[in-house]
Amino acid sequence: MLSREQVYHVIDTVTAAATGYATKVLIQGSANALTRFANSEIHQNVFEDITTVTITVTEGKRASQISTNSYDDDGLRIAVREAIANLAFLPEGVEQPALVNAPAEMVADNFNAELDRQYDVFSRARKVKQCIELLEPDYKAFGTLAYNNSQFAFGNSTGIKRYARINSVSFSALVAHSDGGSGFASITSAEVQGFDVTGAFAKAYEKAKLNKNPEDIAPGAYTVILEPQAVGDLMAYMSYIGFSAKSAQDRMSFLTGKLGEKVFDERVTIVDDYTNHNTMSLPFDFEGSPRQVVPIIEKGCAVSLVHDLASAMKDGTVSTGHSVNMPKMGGIPCNLIVAGGEQTLEEIIAHTTHGVLVTRFHYMNPVNPREAQLTALTRDGFFRIENGKIVAAVKNMRFTESMLNAFNNVEAISRDRQRTAFFFGNYYVPAMKITGFHFTGKASM
Amino acid sequence: MKQHMLAVLDLLKQHKVDYADIRINDIHEEHISTENMKVQNLSTSHTRGFGVRVYLDGSMGFAASQDFDKMAEIALTALEIAKASRIAQQQPVILSPKHVVEDHYSTPILIDPFTVSKREKLDLLFAAEKIMREAIPTLFKTEGSMDFRREEKSFADTEGSFITQTLFESGGGMVAVAAGKADMQRRTFPNSFRGNFATAGYEFVLGLGLGENAERVAKEAAALLEAEACPSGVFDVVIDSSQLTLQIHESIGHPIELDRVLGYEAGYAGTSFLHPSMQGFKYGSEHVNVVADATVPGGLGTFGYDDEGVAAQRVPIITKGLFQNFVSSRDTAATIGAISNGTARADSWNRPPIVRMTNINLLPGTFELDDLIAGIEVGLLFSANKSWSIDDRRVNFQFACEIAYEIKHGRLTGKIYKNPIYTGITPEFWNSCDGVANEKHWRMFGTPNCGKGQPGQVAHVGHGSSPARFRNVKVGVADVK
Repeated sequence: MLSREQVYHVIDTVTAAATGYATKVLIQGSANALTRFANSEIHQNVFEDITTVTITVTEGKRASQISTNSYDDDGLRIAVREAIANLAFLPEGVEQPALVNAPAEMVADNFNAELDRQYDVFSRARKVKQCIELLEPDYKAFGTLAYNNSQFAFGNSTGIKRYARINSVSFSALVAHSDGGSGFASITSAEVQGFDVTGAFAKAYEKAKLNKNPEDIAPGAYTVILEPQAVGDLMAYMSYIGFSAKSAQDRMSFLTGKLGEKVFDERVTIVDDYTNHNTMSLPFDFEGSPRQVVPIIEKGCAVSLVHDLASAMKDGTVSTGHSVNMPKMGGIPCNLIVAGGEQTLEEIIAHTTHGVLVTRFHYMNPVNPREAQLTALTRDGFFRIENGKIVAAVKNMRFTESMLNAFNNVEAISRDRQRTAFFFGNYYVPAMKITGFHFTGKASM
Repeated sequence: MKQHMLAVLDLLKQHKVDYADIRINDIHEEHISTENMKVQNLSTSHTRGFGVRVYLDGSMGFAASQDFDKMAEIALTALEIAKASRIAQQQPVILSPKHVVEDHYSTPILIDPFTVSKREKLDLLFAAEKIMREAIPTLFKTEGSMDFRREEKSFADTEGSFITQTLFESGGGMVAVAAGKADMQRRTFPNSFRGNFATAGYEFVLGLGLGENAERVAKEAAALLEAEACPSGVFDVVIDSSQLTLQIHESIGHPIELDRVLGYEAGYAGTSFLHPSMQGFKYGSEHVNVVADATVPGGLGTFGYDDEGVAAQRVPIITKGLFQNFVSSRDTAATIGAISNGTARADSWNRPPIVRMTNINLLPGTFELDDLIAGIEVGLLFSANKSWSIDDRRVNFQFACEIAYEIKHGRLTGKIYKNPIYTGITPEFWNSCDGVANEKHWRMFGTPNCGKGQPGQVAHVGHGSSPARFRNVKVGVADVK
């Protein structure tokens, strides 16, 4: 991985080679390691060291982009020459937004040396083994223990520079009985303290033990309690299809034309907040814009959407700093905080007469984005609740539901929240109890 | 470079590895997008690096870098990772045997897409967009796209194989979007998600027929905005190749991956309802014949050798409805006492090979398309995927399509429906197939976005099919109260 001085040299080399053009340089580097286990043994164990430089050269309404991992001076100059040469082929394209020109520099070096020391490949293998040794013979462990060490840097021909470095660990565990019942848990952190691998594994194991002899239930509308991971799954897809200004400009968003209107239950408040320590975020985006805290839903009312430079220009406003260098998608909120409620998850379960509990979802996709209609299947723990208690495991089911309905039918939100991984950050979300949630099919033969 | 690779492999042999390989990938890509007759994106990318995979005492380590001066160092890193893997080992990995090969393979192409000017490519997209916009001036948006890829691969292993490959991919497509105050509908050609893709040269894009189909696509997008929502109920349906592609992908392609069957993907992508003991299982009706064919010309999953140096093959998967074989890698095949059928692929130099689909093809039947439709009293014809979802064992699928065409009394009535959804249970669905159209209607589609693995990998795979008829399919979800 390059040093800060080295990445700044890359930026300077590119902008010097492209003198006379409006030029952007994005550098993404990672030295990531992932230990993967299945059937209670490590079966894949990998490390990668990669740095990619993405150069965008603009002249008037013409822009061309090139990415390369040849970041020596010669490689960069060749890439710049190719990007400039491509401009000659282009007719005028869409209007290009002005480059970010302030502040001159932003640096967020959050590298945690202790984390780096404690999560080398042998430590990870030993922690996985410790988990596996907790299991009775009929259970097997599956999952990953990953150490990510990443850097992001940005510069442009106005002379600004951005640099961020972050390292983190993440653990996901699925424990499965030989009969098929499984449980799941995941954690992620940028700190050693509180990152409890065996504790998370024990939760997955406990849930797997509960997930025995599943029964059938009929498709229909149910009161559902979604654990935080399941809420995080929904939020991820609502972000893709609804929370970016670009999706509204494309008339794909379920919030198209609805800013200022009440769209969800008044207990629902969602803000994209990179300053919350649970989100592990970058203070700038991939266009160099300083990231802003953006309230998206306030007490059920749609208040604002996130922008990159292009969508901001179209709406006559400024970028909120949410570019992920995917212009087709515009800005994406990567640090959603969903407001918590009054009760614990256990209390919400205890106050439920009839309902079902969902651990997480599998293979979600939008069915009709304009109506925020999503579909997915339950997995790794789906349970029936009667008179305040979990009374039975249930065979996995498919839901198909409009989130405009679901988030208007919120009956309770948990006080306790969890991090769920998303893109370059985390979400921090509670559990939710929702009435009239439609399960539309069984996932069993 | 070959000598350097062999020297590093010799170094690993000195450390008594069971097996090691080195793979170098040098990948160039070009992506062009137009929107409303303007260039929305023109980007190229180049990545070059190497990955070293080591098995030591039956445990795996993999390390990758773009710094070729560090190949020996990275190889020793992979060795150390393999040593760490031994800490949590239950059964040493055994690799199934393979032939030692020295060979070169190139995708047969007529026109190198990287020699065609970007201006010419843009002109082709603009021409298609222009026809769409002239046909329906009120369209909210029109789009065009092209994507090209050239990959140079070198592979060497401690068993003595040395293989080089030059693989080309080309693809393109277009979109018409109609939007009203409360709705937005889109129609794509030749398929959704950036069109169709093949291992081929620029001649493939020239043959897509973008201009010839632009007017129809635009008119259908506009008509969908005014169309009724697709009814819910149980119907006989015909599914065309553009949608069958993803149906095959999700409900046959993934369940037959042996790594999923063995639980290697259980923590993430999921497993399979299949089990090694299920050879002969009645997967579908007698009309359902499926092969995994990495040799079919032009398929997006066509190559010379997989990333373990095993030759591309055509493997029967389902014969007259009966399940025959999984797709496998060397380690997974050995687990069931079989030999790899050559489907281990990595998406770039920084990922290890895992079991991936090649071209999972539904073989043509004997029906004319008109005869399939003629056999339906009241039903629907589905086209072009809009959304997909399937459970972690690949049992319950649900697809949304761009458009459904009404069938009544054995004929297409001309009426269309928007937002069609259908859902089912994998073996029940394939057993309800009572006819597949003949080879006249057989088409291949490339799927360039198949996600799997941790860290994530995106595979490029293909699916050939003719339209097929299915009985008593559950359509829509509005009736679930």
